[in-house]
Amino acid sequence: MERREFFKKAAVVAGAAAVGTSTAKAGVTEQPIDDRQVSPIAFPEKRPLIMYSDRPPLLETPRDVFTSALTPNDQFFVRWHMPDIPTHIDPDTFTISVNGLVDKEMKISLNDLKTDFEQVEVTAVLQCGGNSRSAFKPIAGGIQWGSGAMGCARWKGVRLRDVLDRAGLHKDAVWVGFNGSEKSAYYETPEFIRELELSELDDHVILAYEMNGEDLPYLNGYPLRLVIPGYYSDSWIKMLSNITVTNKYRKLFFMDVAYRVPDNETESETPEKRFSKTKPIKKMNVKSIIGYPTKDSIITHKSHVVIRGVAWDSGHGIKDVMVSVDGGKTWEKALLDDGKQGRYGYRAFRYTFKPTEFGKVTLMSKAISKLGEEQPFAKDIKWNHGGYKYNGIDEVTVEVV
Amino acid sequence: MKKIILVAALFSTLLFAQTKEKVEVPYVPFPIKMGEGFDAIQTHCLMCHSFGYITNQGRQSKEFWHKKVVKMVVHFKAPMDEKAVQETTDYLFEHYGNGKLK
Repeated sequence: MERREFFKKAAVVAGAAAVGTSTAKAGVTEQPIDDRQVSPIAFPEKRPLIMYSDRPPLLETPRDVFTSALTPNDQFFVRWHMPDIPTHIDPDTFTISVNGLVDKEMKISLNDLKTDFEQVEVTAVLQCGGNSRSAFKPIAGGIQWGSGAMGCARWKGVRLRDVLDRAGLHKDAVWVGFNGSEKSAYYETPEFIRELELSELDDHVILAYEMNGEDLPYLNGYPLRLVIPGYYSDSWIKMLSNITVTNKYRKLFFMDVAYRVPDNETESETPEKRFSKTKPIKKMNVKSIIGYPTKDSIITHKSHVVIRGVAWDSGHGIKDVMVSVDGGKTWEKALLDDGKQGRYGYRAFRYTFKPTEFGKVTLMSKAISKLGEEQPFAKDIKWNHGGYKYNGIDEVTVEVV
Repeated sequence: MKKIILVAALFSTLLFAQTKEKVEVPYVPFPIKMGEGFDAIQTHCLMCHSFGYITNQGRQSKEFWHKKVVKMVVHFKAPMDEKAVQETTDYLFEHYGNGKLK
């Protein structure tokens, strides 16, 4: 690409990344921003996506991708925390270290993981805790994601439990810390380490080297990442290189300060009166999104439209997805897919509708989990300082012509 | 036979392209406003993150920007002194502010 052309395109991109000026009333949550354009610049192994930053890379999946239960690797969102990601990892020499309170400290190669352990697969949704953050008013600091900081893939790898068993856990082992190969610019910057209690890690937690039948894309954590079905993605460490077992919780920025919500029943607070006690975001709440139509779709009067989208929760499973084609006045059940991706994956839904009036019509989707948890209207979602866990009823307004 | 070899060679290139070569993450020049304090922004912000992080926040209050800068110092250990904190905050509010102090 000619240099000048590149800069011209880049300017367009960055313009798209700027936040829409908010005319919203303070304190009332609205629909997340839905008008960002895909960047003309494609990142490695990715199609052009909505781009917020190149260093660290931050890429969002456009809404129209969310019509099927699996998200293609080249359209899967990307979120890193540190500016320095290794630009080359040799799969033949790569090893993961297991250390701390174990009988034998180990360095396991990729080949050993693939040949020396039972191979398992799980389909699971990977969603940033700050997905849809742009819905919160006033602004909750952080990347102002639309609704596409998420995806669902079939992950293949080995059970964390099997790896820990091989190393032999000490009796007093309580915590397990994970970190990857990304590096900060300054030595003093806290490393991106996640620490989880052994008791909360079940057999569905895997170290994955494959995503939708292919090697993990580089930007999704090649060659190995942690997969914790049901949990927000902040704990799914990418380019996983180290596992340390301890009996004491270590003080860590990314556990103690970031990715936390108020520890009260509604997990909410106000900008004026912050709630001092907080807890990690951990498990996902119930949510759905419409993939088709989008606000740019052309809908013809009296045509047969099939509304499609996806719904998920933290693993209880989706009971129903309700769809409204009259702005929320009446609701009907959508058809769900066969659910063969399992309880941690997306359930794809569809709903046929024949627009009989011209003009603007607002389509909505609302998921209900098997626990009975139900998506609230956006306006009923209360504020939290990090802008986490937004799960408002999704809305798409289209014009019938 | 020749054809088969060619296909095989092509296949193996694709298969290993991901791992045998260095990955190039593109550099994206984000448009950023020039003005007093820009040097401080370039020195203190760009080390860790692109200007995309700044422009994506939209226009915000002086307090918002000050808290952001302080967060970078306190939590992310950006080596910035009082003067640098002041300069960056002023720049951010001047160019990406909403006119409100709070």
